[in-house]
Amino acid sequence: MTASENKAIVQQVFDELANGNSAPLLESLTEDFRFVITGTSKWSRSYEGKAVVIAELFAPLRDRIQGRIRTVPVRLIAEGDLVVVEAHGRNVTRNGRTYNNTYCNVLRLEDGKISEWMEYCDTALVDAVLGDPQETTQR
Amino acid sequence: MSAADNKRLIETIFAKIAAGDRAAFIDSLADDVTMRVTGQNSWSQTFRGKDALLRDLYGYLGTLLAEGRRTVPQRLIADGDQVVVEAVGEMRTKAGVPYNNDYCLIYRLRDGKIVEIREYLDSALCERVLGPYPAARTQIAG
Repeated sequence: MTASENKAIVQQVFDELANGNSAPLLESLTEDFRFVITGTSKWSRSYEGKAVVIAELFAPLRDRIQGRIRTVPVRLIAEGDLVVVEAHGRNVTRNGRTYNNTYCNVLRLEDGKISEWMEYCDTALVDAVLGDPQETTQR
Repeated sequence: MSAADNKRLIETIFAKIAAGDRAAFIDSLADDVTMRVTGQNSWSQTFRGKDALLRDLYGYLGTLLAEGRRTVPQRLIADGDQVVVEAVGEMRTKAGVPYNNDYCLIYRLRDGKIVEIREYLDSALCERVLGPYPAARTQIAG
């Protein structure tokens, strides 16, 4: 796959995430997919394997966000097997707090599938609004 | 300049910074460069112009951090006029507290000069170790 083919795949995935549709993303992940939240926030670590990412990252996140999670792509930059996506979150927590984080995601693709996602975001906002992933939310 | 030329320029700048030479970086900033520290924390400011950037961001950081601060690039990704650098900081405060941040820096270049920088970083660590960006400087940075 060329950089422009990888870019097109990631653009399609994020165009759907912007509308709250995560199905194309989930279909595009390799089984050994790795999601790394960089930095020192309570959510920062490497989540290894598609099943672990879904259970330990996406599920607690979905538990905190009202309705569908929306991530709107702003700019894509691609070279070789890497695609960088600058994006804005457009979300509200179940407690009614606005959660509009700013993301720079560096995605690695293998044969048209996403195998790695390095996320850089405003970690102070993560801790302030999302709290600890281990804790259940107050509804 | 091609994406490969831009990548080579940024690689050279980082190699020099790692060797303690910041002159090449400063020389490559366009006079009208803007730098945006993304997010919604106290450091999330847009610094407009080379003088303001050097004074209000790098100058202020120089008052907090010990000499010999390094930013070590991990991966570079170039596409058109943009070069993305994932990097790890190796720094200490003047009081000796380690400050090793994770950065994703995006440079936009024009004719071999940096015209825009967008920075993503671990703001939780930044605020915890360096403290909030002073409100008085916020007026200047705008």
